[in-house]
Amino acid sequence: MIDLTKPDAVADDYVLGLLEPADMKTVEAELERNVALRRAVAQSRERFLPLDMTAEPAEVSHDLWTRIERDLQQRVPSEQTTEVEPDIANDNRSIQNEGFWRVTSFAGLAASLVLAVALGWNLTRTAEPLVVAVLVNETGEVQAVVEDFGTERAVVRLLADVSVPGDRTMQVWTLPSKETGPVSMGLLPQARSARLVPPSLPAPKDAQLYEITLEPAGGSPTGRPTGPILAKGFAKVTR
Amino acid sequence: MADMTADPLGTELGACARGDRQALKRIFDAEAGRLVAIAQRIVKRRDLAEEVVQDGFIAIWTKAHQYAPDRGSARGWIHAIIRNRALNMLRDGSREDLLSEDAIQSLQEADQPESVLTAWAALDRTSRLRSCLEGLGEQKRKSILMAYVGGYSHGEIAGRLSLPLGTTKSWIRRGLASLRECMA
Repeated sequence: MIDLTKPDAVADDYVLGLLEPADMKTVEAELERNVALRRAVAQSRERFLPLDMTAEPAEVSHDLWTRIERDLQQRVPSEQTTEVEPDIANDNRSIQNEGFWRVTSFAGLAASLVLAVALGWNLTRTAEPLVVAVLVNETGEVQAVVEDFGTERAVVRLLADVSVPGDRTMQVWTLPSKETGPVSMGLLPQARSARLVPPSLPAPKDAQLYEITLEPAGGSPTGRPTGPILAKGFAKVTR
Repeated sequence: MADMTADPLGTELGACARGDRQALKRIFDAEAGRLVAIAQRIVKRRDLAEEVVQDGFIAIWTKAHQYAPDRGSARGWIHAIIRNRALNMLRDGSREDLLSEDAIQSLQEADQPESVLTAWAALDRTSRLRSCLEGLGEQKRKSILMAYVGGYSHGEIAGRLSLPLGTTKSWIRRGLASLRECMA
């Protein structure tokens, strides 16, 4: 029913909410790739925005923010969940003590060893990550493991000490697709293992790229990685 | 179009995309009152409007990474999330549940609902939108205001204005085209 050769008219109907549900879905899908339509929708929104600004702000229930926070919390496991200090970090430390890294110059071998440890450890837990990525530095040394659970949950385990200057922070990224470009999964302000609440993205796939960069404190100012890459690696689907 | 640095809400959305929960709280503190009011114009009831805003903030958090200045102002993007959720709540088939006593009463009112009249009365006299809407003539203007402000469908607008559905649709279509031309 909608005529995409007239993006301005389609945009107005979309913004006013006058489209049938099926057409509404078509427009939303089209917006992801159709630049002219995206621009038309943006312009239409701006045209009508002054009407929104006439709305007299309501007195909001005092618990509304608490309700939102609770919803957000339910999307991530709380810090109190039965989590043992991950053995993986200890294993890594002992490996380092034995000078293991100097012997193992093949990143692939190192990565698969850590992957095996990570997977073994995962078997003991109820929630399974969809993918695990082992991140290595330039010289192939394993620096971190990212477990991506999809649905806005991910855990990053740092497996090496990284010194981060006071005005910098580590930021974790993934590349869901070339079209999307790199997306921030969150910051590691303390430069240590952390749970992240990444934005909602398509389910992570096999061979999806993950990386950690060094960014200005507070995170990349551009929303894209700008600093040096500390570690990167490709995801493996857990089996 | 404003770039990110000139758009404070855009900056906050950028921080949300990087996982900064405080940025979401700042958006809430500054905007929640107005967003509830915008949603309430559509879903009519305050409790439902708050429900819309509650879900809307989760959507703002999870979609923040999708916002880019080529999608318009951050404010327009945030308002669109709230408006779409309010419209969905109305139209996902549970409309009857929304018709409290008050809402039924307001449906029986002649012509335009109060919230639409109020929005029109409060619209900045010096704004381009106002002068262009004034130029449309009463029926077209009413129809467009009812659709945008109150979230009314073609059918509901036709009913309230006692016009045939086809006529209403074509008035709205022509009215929107004139408005675009006037504001271009």
